Amino acid sequence: MREYLFRRISLLLFMLLTLTAFTFSLNYLFPGDVLTNLSGQVNSSYAQSQVLADKYQLEENIIVQYGAFLGRIVDGDWGYSLSSGQPVFEHILLLFPATIELCVYALVVAIIFGIPSGVIAAVFHKRWPDRVINSLTLMGFSIPIFWLALLLIMVFCLGLGLFPMSGRIGLLYEIEPYSHFILVDIIAQGFPYGGLAFIDALKHLALPTIVLAMYPTTVLIRFTRDSMLNVLEQNYIKTARAKGLNRRQLILHHALRNALLPVIKQIGLQFSTLLTLAMITEVIFSWPGVGRWLIESIYQRDYPAIQGGLLAVSVFVIFANMFAEFSHTVLNPISRNQAHGKI
Amino acid sequence: MRILLLGTLCTLLLGCIDEPNAKLNENNQGLVYCAEANPMTFNPQVTTTGSTIDLIANQLYDRLISIDPDTAEFKPELAEAWGVSDDGTTITFYLRKGVQFHHTDYFTPSRKMTADDVVFSFDRLFNVYNPYHFVGDATYPYFQSVGVDQLIQEIVKVDEHTVQFKLFNAESSFLSNLATDFAVITSKEYADILAAAEKKSQFDTKPIGTGPYKYKQYLRDNLVRYHKNESYWKHPVAMSQLVFDITTNNTSRIAKMLTKECDITAHPSASQLAVLSKRADITVDKAENLNIGYWAFNTEKEPFDNSLVRKALAHSVDFNKILQAVFYGNGQIAKSYLPPASWAFAEQESMPTYNPTLARKYLDMAGYEEGFEMTIWAMPVSRIYNPNARKMAELIQSDLKQIGVTAKIVEYEWNTFIERIGKHEHDSVLLGWVADTPDPDNFFSPLLSCTATFSDKNPANWCNPEFDLLLTKALDTTDIEERKAFYAQAQAMIIDQLPLVPIAHGMRFQASSKEVKGIDLKPFGGISLANARKQ
Amino acid sequence: MAKFKLFSEESNRSPLSRLWKKFKANHPALVGLWIFIALTLLALFAPLISPYSINQQHANALLLPPSWHDAGDVRFILGTDDLGRDILSRLMNGATFTFGLSIIAALITTALGVIIGSLAGMSKGIRSSFFNHLLDITLSIPSLLLAIIIIAILGPGLLNTVWAIILALLPQYVHSIRNLVVEELSKDYISAFRLDGASKWKILVRGVFPNIYEHIVVIFTMALSTAILDIAALGFLKLGAQPPTTEWGAILAENLGLIYLAPWTVGLPGVLLFIAVLSTNLVGDGLRQVLKDRKAD
Repeated sequence: MREYLFRRISLLLFMLLTLTAFTFSLNYLFPGDVLTNLSGQVNSSYAQSQVLADKYQLEENIIVQYGAFLGRIVDGDWGYSLSSGQPVFEHILLLFPATIELCVYALVVAIIFGIPSGVIAAVFHKRWPDRVINSLTLMGFSIPIFWLALLLIMVFCLGLGLFPMSGRIGLLYEIEPYSHFILVDIIAQGFPYGGLAFIDALKHLALPTIVLAMYPTTVLIRFTRDSMLNVLEQNYIKTARAKGLNRRQLILHHALRNALLPVIKQIGLQFSTLLTLAMITEVIFSWPGVGRWLIESIYQRDYPAIQGGLLAVSVFVIFANMFAEFSHTVLNPISRNQAHGKI
Repeated sequence: MRILLLGTLCTLLLGCIDEPNAKLNENNQGLVYCAEANPMTFNPQVTTTGSTIDLIANQLYDRLISIDPDTAEFKPELAEAWGVSDDGTTITFYLRKGVQFHHTDYFTPSRKMTADDVVFSFDRLFNVYNPYHFVGDATYPYFQSVGVDQLIQEIVKVDEHTVQFKLFNAESSFLSNLATDFAVITSKEYADILAAAEKKSQFDTKPIGTGPYKYKQYLRDNLVRYHKNESYWKHPVAMSQLVFDITTNNTSRIAKMLTKECDITAHPSASQLAVLSKRADITVDKAENLNIGYWAFNTEKEPFDNSLVRKALAHSVDFNKILQAVFYGNGQIAKSYLPPASWAFAEQESMPTYNPTLARKYLDMAGYEEGFEMTIWAMPVSRIYNPNARKMAELIQSDLKQIGVTAKIVEYEWNTFIERIGKHEHDSVLLGWVADTPDPDNFFSPLLSCTATFSDKNPANWCNPEFDLLLTKALDTTDIEERKAFYAQAQAMIIDQLPLVPIAHGMRFQASSKEVKGIDLKPFGGISLANARKQ
Repeated sequence: MAKFKLFSEESNRSPLSRLWKKFKANHPALVGLWIFIALTLLALFAPLISPYSINQQHANALLLPPSWHDAGDVRFILGTDDLGRDILSRLMNGATFTFGLSIIAALITTALGVIIGSLAGMSKGIRSSFFNHLLDITLSIPSLLLAIIIIAILGPGLLNTVWAIILALLPQYVHSIRNLVVEELSKDYISAFRLDGASKWKILVRGVFPNIYEHIVVIFTMALSTAILDIAALGFLKLGAQPPTTEWGAILAENLGLIYLAPWTVGLPGVLLFIAVLSTNLVGDGLRQVLKDRKAD
């Protein structure tokens, strides 16, 4: 176990280092002046650019510059956004919670709907529940997310008027931002506006969550189904059936736990895709998160913002991956004995 | 069993929620306005961008005088009365008493508005010794391009409520310029406090004014929130909250109207008007407006410094087709630079017509038989004078191909776009101008004069001393007929030289929920939500 | 009890023909295959068979609905957009960009994945770790973000997004192919080869590949469906194909402003995307199922 932990953590450090090196190299790869890309200050006077050149050690060789870069990252100085002039770190602190909130709720929805459906599909293999779930999953898997979002908006917002189509909450509700997680903030303030704000926030969350959850749900269904089918063919299941356990006991006590293990690892691997889809969802629903901000930044060629966003998002994905892997290892006795971290 | 438990839990939770109290009585709680761009500042003195002015000028501030949209006469605002000396060089304003500045969580005024505030507000614009002159790049685009720094000799505080402007020479548009949305009165007390705390830049980002609403919050790309000014001097304000929902995408603004997430939307795109008009709960307002949409060439860049090339380009595009496809019939094709509604309008006989053969001839004469490459910069936002610059650019692009000119379309976020046009990065640009006052000089000096070029406000980068002379002569006299003659010559010169090609004049549209009243459209200037109320 | 056989000859068909027979029995997969082939042909020959050119504007036929509507015109089967361009022609040409380029991207990804994956599978120790984790850093960067960065460096355009997609898809497939290779290498017949004295290269080409190429085809279809969705998403965000390129996502984004006036201009590209991805997934799924069944036999 210790050796496993050691390997995992060294892998983590290796990935973080590569990530920061890659981000650092972007300063040189992006078009435009290196100093502007590093700092986010444009048109600085000669005196100012001298001060900045000192700060970013532009005179020294690459390794020293990279070291200075790492130091700044840890300090929290991630440069200034070219389009707004505000520190990039502040933007990210403000916007990232919104994205995380959306992703977490979508993941929860995906788990609640996906895993039971996968189990049902496996249990009723080759019968009509399996076929129905399979077809629905295949269609959900194939639909482009932006088209799905547009369809849902057309039907539920414009057609039926049930849900709003943009933002996190009706703009006339003033909620003090503490944690920047809107539901948490509303609860922390004791349900102001007589609970209407909470219901409004939920309504705003509904469609983006459904859209974002579509892909992970289908992936989870397929994966759970495959994993479950695999487990159901194992010898110990046949033994248990021969022993005389009824269906429910068989599935709940024996099959499920073993089938879910690879699923947990798979959830971790989904984070990267989830964030990609979250970025598109945020743009369509004007969700004020880090994804929409990044896409705006590329339109405006705001390179410091892109670098900062890259760091924040990738670090998040790396840690989410690691966490999922750790959970998998902790729960799975077999992989604890494996010395090599294998994907 | 478990369902029962869950149900009890839910009902208990609901019980914890307070009874919905009068806090959110929909009718007078707040108004949501769908805005098309972020405001680049909160001080109207430092910008002329219409999308910013709409959000801030009439909402947060007041001016000394204003112009009645129907009679074109000057009306008292913060100045109760005024007098002009016989030679026109001294103008005295008698200020209203008892006007309060905003009480906010970042500033509490200790006194009411006096002459000190008026003097400070204008002194900042041109007095290089004013501590605030260089705050925020020292750009006062409107005032600099109409040359106010060469005009005002000094501003004198006569007593607590009387201010005198002493000018170097009389100018017939001076009072009109003081009535624009840019000539607002700011608080000297606030300025002093910020200067003492070394936070002068906050003056333009966290504003204090005398207007019907006061600043509460700004979240970039998201919203601007105002609360009502309880001590507004003019009349009680009906809305307790005013929120601008910043939505750059045209279609989203329309959608938000349809889902009732916005009460009012600015500049609904021409193609969507039919959809909005069909709805019984939405009113679409239409008003005549003094504006011009044009295609300007960067006349300092080759080959656009050659007037033959400009003529060729002007004759190669079918603007009637553009009128139909972009304006959907809600515009007038330009017959001169000024709109017909302006009193100085003079129809031009030699407006460029669609004639590709003639265009080719001009190109050959200029020496560009094989054609050339150029960029067309298209605005990303919908404006009154151009509802869809992108589409217009695509249509022009395909017309230009026929005479051998390859055009590339360039787009940026709106405020970045304006900045880069100011730096003259473009070959040509589709832009326009909405009048701030009915005075025809407002179409010329802030845009096409040499001072406009020097203050980066001239999209054609054009400086013609003869043209400027015409403008100066028109400003030196107050006789309408004389001014008309000068402006007729100026318009003819524009069509002859073609630093820009006037395309069309648009109608001003606004879509609002049926319950919203008091938001009438004016033919010039930015919108005012001071009288907005919900039935 | 042995199955009763009427004829004494044994069925001795090759694995490939057994595969095909099973595949044919799976009707949805077969339909998927037909659609897939149709789209590929369309992607290749669209400029030749489309009725109009993609930039041809018909000023008198703006915003016509599809021909089955009352207001439609049979000349423009799927209607026109707001500049009077025929939607059918634009969509047909779009197949070349969306579908064609996705196939190329998926092919390159699979090819590179095979090379790197085999190297990783054949080597041991640090070298294996190195190849394995070389591209893992891109696993943690969301593919859209990676595309944004590449576009920031290289500028927007369809070709640059193809690079971005290849780079984003590569790690997963390197891992999958490596696992396949490792699994094959542990089998007995490979040991037999090695004992016979075959070189590494021969083992790979003669031993491993013939047994995994069908799985590689499945991987290819998975890569293809992701590539189609990604190219369309980037086109939709205006980061990929620039107008007047008629990529399906870009057409959708362009016509978004017309969604109330002419919803078919937004609906039709989406339907085509859905069909393309669905057919690819049907083929991939069918193939995977068939391979599993064949193994079980």
